[in-house]
Amino acid sequence: MNSIVSVSSISKKYQLPLSNKEVSKSLVNRIFSKREFEEYWAVKDVSFSLNKGDKLGIIGNNGAGKSTLLKILSKITKPTTGKIDIRGKVASLLEVGTGFHPELSGRDNIYLNGAILGMSKKQITQQFDEIVEFAGDQIIKFLDTPVKRYSSGMYVRLGFAISAHLDPDILIVDEVLAVGDADFQKKSLGKMKEVASKEKTILFVSHNLTAVANLCNKTLHLEKGYVKQFGETGEVLNNYLSAMQNNLLEQSFDHIEEAPGNDLVRLKYAKLTPALIGNQIIADVRNALKIDIEFWNLLDDQNLNISLHIFASTGECIFNVGTQPELLNKGVVQASLTIPGYFLNDGNYLVSFMIVKDKSIVLFNFEEVFNFEIADYREDTTWYGKWPGYVRPQFDFPIQQVSQKI
Amino acid sequence: MSFISNYRINQVRNDLELLLILAKRDISVRYKQTFLGIIWAIIKPLVTMSVFLFAFKNVSNIKDLGGYPIQLVIFSGVLFWNFFANAFQFSSNSILTNSNLISKVYFPRIIIPISALSVPFIDFIIGFIIYLILSLSLNYPISYQIMYLPIVFLFLSLFSLGLGLIFSSFAIKHRDFLQIIPLIVQYGFFVTPIIYTSNELISKSWFQYYLYINPLVGLVEFFRFSLIRGYHILTFYDFFISSMISIVVFILGLFIFKHKEDTFVDHL
Repeated sequence: MNSIVSVSSISKKYQLPLSNKEVSKSLVNRIFSKREFEEYWAVKDVSFSLNKGDKLGIIGNNGAGKSTLLKILSKITKPTTGKIDIRGKVASLLEVGTGFHPELSGRDNIYLNGAILGMSKKQITQQFDEIVEFAGDQIIKFLDTPVKRYSSGMYVRLGFAISAHLDPDILIVDEVLAVGDADFQKKSLGKMKEVASKEKTILFVSHNLTAVANLCNKTLHLEKGYVKQFGETGEVLNNYLSAMQNNLLEQSFDHIEEAPGNDLVRLKYAKLTPALIGNQIIADVRNALKIDIEFWNLLDDQNLNISLHIFASTGECIFNVGTQPELLNKGVVQASLTIPGYFLNDGNYLVSFMIVKDKSIVLFNFEEVFNFEIADYREDTTWYGKWPGYVRPQFDFPIQQVSQKI
Repeated sequence: MSFISNYRINQVRNDLELLLILAKRDISVRYKQTFLGIIWAIIKPLVTMSVFLFAFKNVSNIKDLGGYPIQLVIFSGVLFWNFFANAFQFSSNSILTNSNLISKVYFPRIIIPISALSVPFIDFIIGFIIYLILSLSLNYPISYQIMYLPIVFLFLSLFSLGLGLIFSSFAIKHRDFLQIIPLIVQYGFFVTPIIYTSNELISKSWFQYYLYINPLVGLVEFFRFSLIRGYHILTFYDFFISSMISIVVFILGLFIFKHKEDTFVDHL
């Protein structure tokens, strides 16, 4: 057996008191009523094994058991059943700056935090200058200031700098990439990659599939505490993404009586089709989106147009686009719209549209006709932070050297 | 094989270093942002002693306790009790106050309650120096009996830590235990011969049983025996019993703590 981490069917049970929990906790109630607990398996029957040098990405929705699994693997809590065999020194970065004491100076906290994370005093002293340098110029000036006077950015940078200099055989990371500004993120990721290129084993939990795809050779997909899939990253991510497709992309009504709408207009058909490239499974920022709409017009001689809104999942309207008004008679009316690729940024979106008469009177508003997700896509990147903004245009933006003098 | 044992040795060394650095943290944070700093460790036992001295001399008109200087009896008692009370309280609370560490990083959990003894220990050392000065000024210097002090102190530490381990293990799930601690510290002070000696109790028929229930009785008298020249109220057999009970409490504490530490984090 070559494996450095071997996990065999571990499970973790929590007991949650049932509702009206506050009351039933007290002794008085406990005497008079049976204690009622809801059993909850945060992790159930999870098995996998890793060889030296494997980088494992752990993915899954919130509540899938990722954090619990990491806690078990880093020995913070014990599984209810099952067995773990880990050979080598484990360091876990479940949160940067763990155990910083606000009253102590940056210098003291480096020693304190390093010791808590499992470094020897000698190791810390040897790497002290490197840690401070990694944390940035600002820290050097405030090395003897209590960390409670640090800005939150400095605090996080110092914390990460210490963690980045741990030298474990197995590193457990929980989304620390999300710390600091873009510049520091780049530095952190560089460090992660440096660690990754060595023969280190890494367990990495992230919501960021791009980062998982780039850093990890194996992926574990958890769902409600169970292992949905464990295997090569590409394969697992593809299945994960296609399973995520709970998007509402099509609505079609054969009978006018069942169709949404009113006495004036009713929806017949609506479909959103991303123009996928190659063997793509879900739409990403590159893809154009085609929207086809058909509706029944129930009155003759109407001057109608469609006004379509796209909303971000947070509720803001990204844009509103309308057709030209057209004089239309009773029957089926069709319209189609193409949103080009490299227009919407990655994220979740909702589409609503309304049928408008004489440019001002709303006949009916069809709300949330589509609900779709656009994935991120980047090539040759070293930065995995969330790309800001609602739109993701690719404008021509040339840059050139005009002179070599300063 | 040698790789394994090397790894173990490094691990133990790292754990010891962590223990020291956590102790250092607690000590250096203790009097941060106070103007008098460590002087508080001198003021507090002196104030306690003065209050009882005032009451005894002026209100009750008591001049000595069991034939020994009243100041020395009270100060040694207060010194003893302060260490016990703080060591017990700090170690009982230590798991909860360090919950941020426990829920984020793994290391042997026992390091935390042990390191909680550091501050009471420093306070004790300072108080002990004050005691030496006090005893000299009263012309009652310490004698060879001082050589028993490390032994008493060891049993006292084991008992306080053992009790702290038991309370910290249970308090994580049931915070009721935290409510009991101040009661023990407040009333234990009066039911243990801290501001009086066992002379007043020794003739009672229940006293032998009381020694079993409250090992602090034997320990404090043993403690005074090591500090006050000629002080001798209880027998060595009584000391022995109290010491054994302390060890039993400590082992029980270790056992309970070991049994519960793996799942502390689930109840935080």
